[in-house]
Amino acid sequence: MAKDPRVCRLEELDGPKSKQELDEMKMPYEDYCRAAFAPGGEFSRPLSLKGIRWLSTTMYIFTPHSVSNLAELGAEVIKVEMPRMGDPMRHCAPFNETYLYPLHDTRPMTGTGMGYLNANPNEYHISMDYHLDEMKEAFYRLVKMSDGLTECYRPGTFDRWKQSYRYLIEMNPRFIYVWGGGFGYGPKVFGGSYDILGQAHAGLASVTGMHEFMGGHCTKHSNWCIDWYSGTQITFGILAAIHWRRKTGLGTMIEFSQVQAATRCLGYAAPLYGRFGIVRQRWGNWDTQLCVHGIILAGKSDYPDAINPQDRLDARYVMVSAFNDPDFKELCEVIKKPDLYSRYQKHKDRVEGEAQVEIYAALEEWAKDKSRADVVRILQGAGLLAEPVMNDREVYECDHYRLRGTIRWQDDPIFGDVLAMGSYGAGLMSKTPRRLYWIWRPVGADNVKIYHELLGYPTAKIEEWYSKAMI
Amino acid sequence: MAERKEIEITCRADTLDLMHPDIRPWPVTPPPPREEVDKVYARRKATDFGNWCEDNLRYELAFGKPEALQGMKFLCVGMWRMGNMFCGSLLCEAGAEVIKIEPPGGDPLRQLTPFGREEYMLESKVTGEKCGLDFLHEMRGQKSVTLNLETEEGRDIFRTMCSQVDGVIDEMPAGYMDGLGIGYRHISKLYPGLVWCNIAVRGTWGPYKDKTSKFGQWTLEPFGGCANAFIHNTGFPQDQLPRGRGGDPTRSGVWFADYVAGEQAANTLLAAIYWRDELGGTGQFCEVTGAESQMDILDFDISWYGFNASIKARTGAWDPNLNQYEWNPCRDGYMMIGGQTDRLWYRIGMCIERDFPQFGRLIHEDPILKEMGARNALEMLTKTYTLTTRWLRDINRIEAEQKLLEYEIAAGPVLFIDEVSEFPHFKYRPWVCTIDTDHYGTLLFSVPPNNYQMRTPHRVKVLGRPLGYDTYEVMMKYAGIGQTRVNELKEKGVI
Repeated sequence: MAKDPRVCRLEELDGPKSKQELDEMKMPYEDYCRAAFAPGGEFSRPLSLKGIRWLSTTMYIFTPHSVSNLAELGAEVIKVEMPRMGDPMRHCAPFNETYLYPLHDTRPMTGTGMGYLNANPNEYHISMDYHLDEMKEAFYRLVKMSDGLTECYRPGTFDRWKQSYRYLIEMNPRFIYVWGGGFGYGPKVFGGSYDILGQAHAGLASVTGMHEFMGGHCTKHSNWCIDWYSGTQITFGILAAIHWRRKTGLGTMIEFSQVQAATRCLGYAAPLYGRFGIVRQRWGNWDTQLCVHGIILAGKSDYPDAINPQDRLDARYVMVSAFNDPDFKELCEVIKKPDLYSRYQKHKDRVEGEAQVEIYAALEEWAKDKSRADVVRILQGAGLLAEPVMNDREVYECDHYRLRGTIRWQDDPIFGDVLAMGSYGAGLMSKTPRRLYWIWRPVGADNVKIYHELLGYPTAKIEEWYSKAMI
Repeated sequence: MAERKEIEITCRADTLDLMHPDIRPWPVTPPPPREEVDKVYARRKATDFGNWCEDNLRYELAFGKPEALQGMKFLCVGMWRMGNMFCGSLLCEAGAEVIKIEPPGGDPLRQLTPFGREEYMLESKVTGEKCGLDFLHEMRGQKSVTLNLETEEGRDIFRTMCSQVDGVIDEMPAGYMDGLGIGYRHISKLYPGLVWCNIAVRGTWGPYKDKTSKFGQWTLEPFGGCANAFIHNTGFPQDQLPRGRGGDPTRSGVWFADYVAGEQAANTLLAAIYWRDELGGTGQFCEVTGAESQMDILDFDISWYGFNASIKARTGAWDPNLNQYEWNPCRDGYMMIGGQTDRLWYRIGMCIERDFPQFGRLIHEDPILKEMGARNALEMLTKTYTLTTRWLRDINRIEAEQKLLEYEIAAGPVLFIDEVSEFPHFKYRPWVCTIDTDHYGTLLFSVPPNNYQMRTPHRVKVLGRPLGYDTYEVMMKYAGIGQTRVNELKEKGVI
């Protein structure tokens, strides 16, 4: 029957189909995002990696972080630590002053340092001295019930203990096995590694910091950024392997060198050297490819009377960005140096080394009698991009992160009020958001839960292991 | 000391030619032979294990193995920043197909070159078009198409292309795609299975979201690092260098927050696709920002403020949490030494003691330094590093490394990219390697660290693409648009 042109059916028309949909389409983008991500509403939504179980026989930051990403996405993670002592990172606190107690039930006067934070959230913490023959069976039982494992021991150690990939794959062909460490197979295979080694050894330090003529040295990124960043890349390897396993049912082994990951982020350094023999150097707070795009020093602090020296002395830095022609022109007018613009009209000319030295000197000269806030206000007032270099307190107080839920106070089940700065910030997701249950648990806190309830060992056995310090 | 020679280079063009990899191949000296490495395995009684690794994980074997994400497809819309590029690279290296959509003028990142030097840009042998090395190095297998999203026809084509893919990477300014009517809320009505991930510096929404200047200039890294205290906390303190002469908050030499955002975006996409395929059945909307994803990995810094109102200060090349864990000057550069647990800490001492017996008495016998946590107090750091540097100042990096490695201590020199490229272990694996490209000749590139796997190693198949190189192929495969129509649309400025 021909369609009656007088009948209008809502579902056949373009556009929104219901009042709710209409509202959604009419909302400003800002409100739409806030409603979609709904910070604070994470626990009413499902978990991305529900059902994945991962073992973490890891220490420090790098390999634990490869697993913590999974834990935040909803995988169940069992972290295995050495009995009584735990991950060395637990004994690591800035200037030995920030601990949360207890470390372990036999050591009430020792705490876990803040250095452990963010690397092992949401996990069950058990302890096991797994190289003992008595514990082998428990370890194998865990392997049979899990999707994968991340380990960080020196190459060959797990093999000697008969728990490397070639042994485990026999008992669980779906198993995904990750070794993360400094170097991997090759002449320096047994070289140990840390974040700082990655920064130093792989070239990142050689391009970071003030140039010699500015008075500087190769500079360490303050944070263990290479550890964390490489761990996240392992997570990518794991997720890709999980996708492939969905198709084929087969696991894999990933051998991941952390030091190499630092070379990976050097951008043009490798091709520039390979083709032209030019060795990329450091260029301080400026940019080698854009000008103006750098951090300048203002004459006065924003908080001259503050007690904390970080506020009183260091609230003086402004990131200024005006590399496009009209932006640069405006900047030169604001600082009353129109001749700079007439000499460096083309970006190609002003990004040259000598030009950058001259331009930034002129900017700092202009900012000499101003505070950080003055500089930001004047430049923003002229429609340019300029922002303060914020310290920890300012980040903590910044309403942006509070509203987005990426910094929030957390009522931890064991440790009470803790300021959460991680997990949520790794990426917002509208349907299956990341979330934080707890920051960590004491060494061996979940021994009974895992050995007894999951692996079926009698409690008497667990007590025996505990008294012999095997767990 | 070696005799110092003054070498004058009179003609840059000559030098460039000499350096070309066709004339002066990489590596300059060959990597260590397998027999040498076998001895290393044997010394630790790990011959079996070493052989197993060499037989199963080697870089060279990658192309004989399948790809993990084969069949997955993504669109990538972004400019100027490294986040979308790195995210796309990772997905491509793992086997996905990523289509990079650029405006007809191209991503401005293509034009960026260090200090504006055009001679360091590479010319495509086919199109003659020049491209900067940062873009080229990160354009790993992504396909390049041009599409003008500011035309209605361009948007129609984009909508059609969305029907073919698993995910979209969007790194345009805040609300840009949404304002054009092709944001997530519009496209998800057509294809509810689509996963959409925004990448931004501080965010596309919220009170401190990314801004564009009055003239339309974008917010780029290191604005992210400025907004999360990363930069404030990095660099040398006043005690070590004067302000304005090196003792300032310091940005990373690379756009580091962009890389972090890129990899977290890739993880977010894969997790969302896993949930869609395995559990939930629908796509979703995601957002990863440089400022926040870097804050996620900012150790404990912000939480420390929450703990006792400490504002972290800069500590140069030292670390307030670990001892030893630093680099200090030696005769020809800087030497990094690390070892915190008692086992490693005393080994470092034993090594230094051999040349400098005082070290043992002053360090090992100090009662405070016997406790691992107490070693992190500032005076203890100062004491330890002063004495370590006393040892280091008389020796070179290579000597220090050899001595420390005898004790199996994590130690390594600060290396520059030429030294990195020639370091024996690095060229053995290799972790920079040359690749032969059809457009730009032989290039040295950084190998993906996920390249060493038993079954599905990630790999770089192609490096660099001229603008719009894949337009015809992609327009047919993703939107059913043939050659004649593409040419028409090109005339109209849509493609």
